[in-house]
Amino acid sequence: MRILLAEDDVDTIEFIETCLVDLDHVVSSAGCGEQALLLACSSPWDVIILDRMLPELDGLTLLRTLRGRGVMTPVLMLTALGRIEDRVDGLDAGADDYLVKPFAPAELVSRVQALGRRYAQGGIATKLRAGPLEIDLIAREVRRGGRVVTLQPREFRLLEVLMRQAGEYVTRTMLLEQVWDFHFDPQTKIVETHMSRLRAKLNEGGLPDLIETARGAGYRVRTT
Amino acid sequence: MNLGRGSAANRIALWGWLAYAAATLLLGVGVYVATHLAFSRQIDARIEQATNALLVEYHDDGIRGVQSALDQQGVNRPIGLGTALFDVNRIRIAGNLAIPSAPAGWHTIGFDDPGEGREQARVQVTELPGGYRLVVAADLESLEAMDHTILAMFGSAVLALLLLGLGGALLLARYLRKRLESIEATASAIIGGDLEQRADVGAAGDEFDRVAQSLNAMLDRIASLIANLRQVSADLAHDLRTPLSHLRNHLERMRGSQAQAATSASIDEAVAQADNVLALFNAILRISEVEEGSLRRAFTAVDLSALVSELGETLELLAEDEQRILHVAVGSGIRVHGDRELIAQALTNLVENALRHTPPGSVIGLQVRCDDRGALVTVSDNGPGIPEADRERVQQRFVRLQSARFAPGHGLGLSLVRAVAQAHGATFALGDARPGLRAEIRFSRRTAA
Repeated sequence: MRILLAEDDVDTIEFIETCLVDLDHVVSSAGCGEQALLLACSSPWDVIILDRMLPELDGLTLLRTLRGRGVMTPVLMLTALGRIEDRVDGLDAGADDYLVKPFAPAELVSRVQALGRRYAQGGIATKLRAGPLEIDLIAREVRRGGRVVTLQPREFRLLEVLMRQAGEYVTRTMLLEQVWDFHFDPQTKIVETHMSRLRAKLNEGGLPDLIETARGAGYRVRTT
Repeated sequence: MNLGRGSAANRIALWGWLAYAAATLLLGVGVYVATHLAFSRQIDARIEQATNALLVEYHDDGIRGVQSALDQQGVNRPIGLGTALFDVNRIRIAGNLAIPSAPAGWHTIGFDDPGEGREQARVQVTELPGGYRLVVAADLESLEAMDHTILAMFGSAVLALLLLGLGGALLLARYLRKRLESIEATASAIIGGDLEQRADVGAAGDEFDRVAQSLNAMLDRIASLIANLRQVSADLAHDLRTPLSHLRNHLERMRGSQAQAATSASIDEAVAQADNVLALFNAILRISEVEEGSLRRAFTAVDLSALVSELGETLELLAEDEQRILHVAVGSGIRVHGDRELIAQALTNLVENALRHTPPGSVIGLQVRCDDRGALVTVSDNGPGIPEADRERVQQRFVRLQSARFAPGHGLGLSLVRAVAQAHGATFALGDARPGLRAEIRFSRRTAA
């Protein structure tokens, strides 16, 4: 993916570049708001990572300008401000996702990939497939190799989020946000509890596990 | 006029004094003009009266009558009045006035008094048939004397009043300055670092005393906030030391270790410890954001029944995994005005707390109902509970009871619950579930949506 990084802190730029370049993404960075706006408008990007506080033109204004000019590239907003109000402001301005510093590399990578993929998929899928798994979003039905698996609504939602990112890791925080709509850390094993039930239902009859867990990175659905 | 610059007290006193002086002056001028006019009118009336009396003589006895009346007056004339009668040739044929004849009507003329020099007189000249002219005049000396007296009297009175006013103004300015300076001195002392200093409050209970009282109340509030802040910072530093020293020890051990596997496990543990520190910071920031209250602007109607049912489903599973039983009972259609996520976080904290501080097999209840006082959410358990003496204290930041010393957590869970309740205008209380702990959040009718 071609990624535009608008960030003025050199250490952060280096950190983000290291995270993303390892995965064969191309990262170009802009150190100020004006430059970022120019770059964002002048060539196509898959994802823009935008720091909220930039010199010359702050991130929120930049984002509003971009959206005003019809640039709909997915934007991940980075910020040192972790307040609820700040997140709401960022999303209102047109950000697609919001990440508070300091963040773990896995968190950034998963979110950037999710944004890139969502954009690339374009239209609205009604069925998602990954290996032997298939879910029908309209009929709310899950099949594994033809056999119907009955899930609770929350488990279905959990699987849906994983399937949309099939093959990529989805972090625990992303799951809390997308499945429970929690933008805080409940300090409980909510995700783990539901994940183990989902697995048990999917793997019923001693089938191999389709969901992989990686410490620090999150969960992913195997595609093969 | 530099007196008023930089001192409101001086300025107020100065303007007060100027207004006072202007009023006194205006009063003086008014009295002078009124008296002068009244006196002049009185003199004219006397002249007219005398003229009329002579005209009666003329009516009765003709010009002879007037002549004899004037001759008699020569011996016994009214004080301050002079009369004369001139014939057609402007020759005085009777009377004592040594002034030339003038045309008919009222005049003010000057004349030479042999005794007192140049003086002014008021004159009425009346034409009589046959070319005669009757002149009646009054000396204006008395009027001038009167004017002089009034002017002198007022002059000295005004001077005395102005001096008095000036003295009063200076005293007022000094008093105002003194009262304000005492408040200023307190402020300076506080700026200088003496936070215990308070403004003097007099017994009068006047405006200054009230300002001083408000100021002192404000200072007390700030002092308690600072004390609280100090306590929290100290607690925070203390609470951070533990995970940070663990982290340090792990890194130290990694340096010494050669085995690849051991190092990898240590790195994982070090990352977990760093995450722990970050989680602590996030929790603290979250609590202060909620306590600040600015989130209230984004409050909307929240379907509490739906929220708790949904949350209950998730938490029931969690309890099951931890070998506890969660019973959820939700009354239908209960709504409050607030933030869905904050309420969810508070309730999750309460259930999490119950899971953490009860033995396996315990039963936990999560209930929502509505009575005539408003919506009520309770989380109760049949665990060991909290002694009554500690129930208030555990809601403070970082407070953990001795019995929970080794349980995970930072002692911030209940602080957040309390902050969330306060932000919603709700009350949060811990009670006895006989046995066990009962936590309740009561939303008032006012906040119900």
